[in-house]
Amino acid sequence: MKQMKANLKQAALFLILLAALMVTAGTATAHHGFADYDMTRHETVVGKVRAFQWTNPHTWLWLDVPDGKGGVTLYAFEGMSPNYLGRRGWTRHSLKPGDKITVTFFPFKDSKKKGGTLANAKKQDGEVLNNFVPANAR
Amino acid sequence: MAQQSTKHFGRSIVIALASVSFVSITAAQTFKRPAPTAADWAAVAKLPDFTGVWEVPLGGEGHSLVVQPGAAKQNPRKASSSHFSPASFPTQQPVPLTPAWAAKVKDLKAHAAEDNPQANCLPNGMPAIMGMPYPYEFLVTPGQVTIIGEAYRMVRHIYTDGRPLPKDPDPTFWGTSVGHWEGKTLVAESVGFVPQTHIAPNVPHSDQMKIIERFRLVDPNTMSVETTVIDPVALTHPYTTTRILKRHRDWTIDEYICEQNNRNSVTNSGKAEVDTIPPPPSGPDPNFK
Repeated sequence: MKQMKANLKQAALFLILLAALMVTAGTATAHHGFADYDMTRHETVVGKVRAFQWTNPHTWLWLDVPDGKGGVTLYAFEGMSPNYLGRRGWTRHSLKPGDKITVTFFPFKDSKKKGGTLANAKKQDGEVLNNFVPANAR
Repeated sequence: MAQQSTKHFGRSIVIALASVSFVSITAAQTFKRPAPTAADWAAVAKLPDFTGVWEVPLGGEGHSLVVQPGAAKQNPRKASSSHFSPASFPTQQPVPLTPAWAAKVKDLKAHAAEDNPQANCLPNGMPAIMGMPYPYEFLVTPGQVTIIGEAYRMVRHIYTDGRPLPKDPDPTFWGTSVGHWEGKTLVAESVGFVPQTHIAPNVPHSDQMKIIERFRLVDPNTMSVETTVIDPVALTHPYTTTRILKRHRDWTIDEYICEQNNRNSVTNSGKAEVDTIPPPPSGPDPNFK
């Protein structure tokens, strides 16, 4: 839990950093802004990986989350690119269909959409995969 | 037969004359570089070693991303090694806009789209493309420094063979660059940018924008890039920021095809959208297995 908080704090710091960068000359976010996401709050869900796309410009993760009524709700999470994550401990095999994981994320502003921008994914073996990681913390 | 030859001859003259005038118009574009000699390659070996893969340090070293020119000159090592804290962020100099341009920027910001055209995979051009959270590879060869940026597969050719800047270049995202060495500093001058490139977010440039970059090593694996934007229409005086790059000898540049799986977009009316439809369980999507 303490680690999770630290990770979120790191993610929050990173986002402050990106925001600060966006007002400086010639520096930019990689691909898009965060207009679709509520970056002021986060949520956590537990589910089973349906698909993990290791693609540019973003990785995408789909998670089947039990809805409490015997069914599942499909969540979609956007992650940083393979180029970025590949230099920070991730591989295309990091998440496999069927893996049971805990995902913390910044949700879509549109409440009809389930999911959001990934903060981190925790695997059953305890490994935490962070979406926003300083290069020097690898 | 003879008549036909005469006709051909006449056409050749017309073509030849057209070629001559074409050459004079586009002299800068058709600059012919002599083949490099062993001495040219030996001269490259004496230049500062810019080769390899570099990245703007993010996160923990964040505040070194953009430092004021003075601070970089005083103590670049300190700037890049201390820990990030929001309070330690340097105060950014405001972009020195001319009154007419300030009004234009204000209007643009009032009607700003929810996202940038990069959401549609259009690259951001110079100078923003040099500040991406993705690495750059520098190649130094006789008469040229080539910078490969991973994001949007940027390739910039900085010609150091003495050719002049073109007088009327076609506008491009990366611009057209020439450079020269001032001691151990590579000085690059770039002109000719498409309107989509911005001096800062929502701060467009005029067709007179010129960018001067000064690349130099401040320690064996740290490069300082001082970027000065000159735009007599948009800016009251040149606008300079300095960025620090760190070398990663164990990195290579990877592929980055933005169109591979882009699920973000910004519409013509400025609305940002995200497509969250999952990939099919089988079929042509090679990423889904």
